[in-house]
Amino acid sequence: MTEAVDLAVIGAGPAGLAAATTAAAHGLTVLLLDEQAAPGGQVWRQAERILGADPSGLGKIAASYGGAREAVAALRRSALDYRPGATVFDVSPELQVSWLQREAEGGGTRHAIHERAAKGLILATGAMERPLPFPGWTLPGVMGVGALQTALKVGGLRPDSDGLVLAGQGPLLLLYLAQIAALGGRPAAILDLAPPGRMGTALAGLPQALFGDPRTMIRGFGLLLRRALSGARIYRGVTRLSAGGEESLERLSFESGGRTHERACSLLGVHDGVIPSTQMSRLLGLDHRWHAERQCFEPLCDPDGRSSDARVWIAGDGAGVEGADLATLRGTLAALKAAEHLGRLSAAESEAAAAPLRARRARQQQARAFLDRLYAPVPLENHLTDDTPICRCEGVTAAAVRQAVEQGAGGPNRVKTFTRCGMGPCQGRFCGPSLVRLIAAQTGQPPDETGALRIRPPLKPILLGDYLEAEPEP
Amino acid sequence: MTWFLRTGSGEVVRVMVDGAPLEARAGESVATALLAAGHRSFARNAASGAPNGTYCLIGQCFGCLCTIDGRPQSQACLTPVAEGMVVETGEQVGTGDD
Repeated sequence: MTEAVDLAVIGAGPAGLAAATTAAAHGLTVLLLDEQAAPGGQVWRQAERILGADPSGLGKIAASYGGAREAVAALRRSALDYRPGATVFDVSPELQVSWLQREAEGGGTRHAIHERAAKGLILATGAMERPLPFPGWTLPGVMGVGALQTALKVGGLRPDSDGLVLAGQGPLLLLYLAQIAALGGRPAAILDLAPPGRMGTALAGLPQALFGDPRTMIRGFGLLLRRALSGARIYRGVTRLSAGGEESLERLSFESGGRTHERACSLLGVHDGVIPSTQMSRLLGLDHRWHAERQCFEPLCDPDGRSSDARVWIAGDGAGVEGADLATLRGTLAALKAAEHLGRLSAAESEAAAAPLRARRARQQQARAFLDRLYAPVPLENHLTDDTPICRCEGVTAAAVRQAVEQGAGGPNRVKTFTRCGMGPCQGRFCGPSLVRLIAAQTGQPPDETGALRIRPPLKPILLGDYLEAEPEP
Repeated sequence: MTWFLRTGSGEVVRVMVDGAPLEARAGESVATALLAAGHRSFARNAASGAPNGTYCLIGQCFGCLCTIDGRPQSQACLTPVAEGMVVETGEQVGTGDD
């Protein structure tokens, strides 16, 4: 049996990179596992290529990679054990981490199960786009704006402007607009799904936001201005969004300004903000709380990211979405406290380094509070119909969920048993967040009482053959 | 209507998709290679029988499942392309009526 590593860090985005390199710099043995082939997470995806001399032409979006160069260079300098292509599928209560390792072998690819015990754990598994179900959202050609951005970063794929419509709200949508504009692209139309009057409610928090994080706020206003200048037709206060087509997306219909609109569309990017990926924090049975404004569960953490389990920290957007800048800071904070927990730093030493970081975070969070209000989640009922699938994998509709609740299924796990909602290969990642909102709305129960889908290993499907071939590490 | 355009250029990697050769770009995922080649859907939904949408491209939605080098239910968005890789589309996602 291999000796336990001091610290396992899961995820190599901004938070995970900062956590792993900081912990290693303080003398901890660190295992950094990441599902992707290269470091950077979602926001700094393909950082080394895009910031390098790459012929893909993506150097034009390098402006959104602030901090990436330093973070990746720190990883490459560090002696920590970094494993790309590692899909973590289980973490036991004893912090035994199991993952499926993908590696090139000869002319092909080999998959092998690995296991390693850890004394401490930092989850830096980030966030995902909030699922926004509407009729036709399962059609090929309907994708998250984050997915379109990933296609751009990974494959240099820019949507053909004539067929592209973007629907939704939030900073990521605005950023994507600016990124494709830098490459000469723009959508034919933008459907603003924010209910009217949001700016009015958010405005009270504007002075604190400007004071707390002027850089982010100025960047945001710049992006809003670019949207206005993009030349795309903007529809405001859009409701009843619906996508149609036979084998893939062909047309959209929606309501705006008291009228029903129809238009041809081959590619629709949808975005309603991002929410923490809680698959691993749920697997570990950590405490979570419903965030009423963000309409999602977040793992309960102290200001350093320490979870309800004293051996486990959560860094970055996985503990509540605050963006890439703060993810780096939160990763550093978690690593300092883990180094203290594991005896590498005294309490006084870790506190001296942590206190200024916590203060900076508290200041910058004021901008996040403004954004939370300005981009509060789109109400599900604005677009949902009875026939709309909530569960993409098993095709369970909103009506089926409501019927199960009427028949006495008072929580997500009962609804799952009644309807198969959440039983497909995505294991509830895409239906869970909407399911909780629907059940809470129907029963009048707070989501903290409704609860969330139970998460069990394996977190990702693995083959029986992988288990059969698994050999214990020497 | 077209779907996606490629920006710039990149080193070419040759893969086989459903028995036909396809030129992908080094460093990209199987999913983006398929999208670039005009594949709109890689799998079918067992529950509805409809073509499955690829929604997230970051390993969360499982809409892009393919058989890759003989390995079923592989997430195309998380698998980097490699020279000579064999990809088969048309997997069933979900369970449908049983």
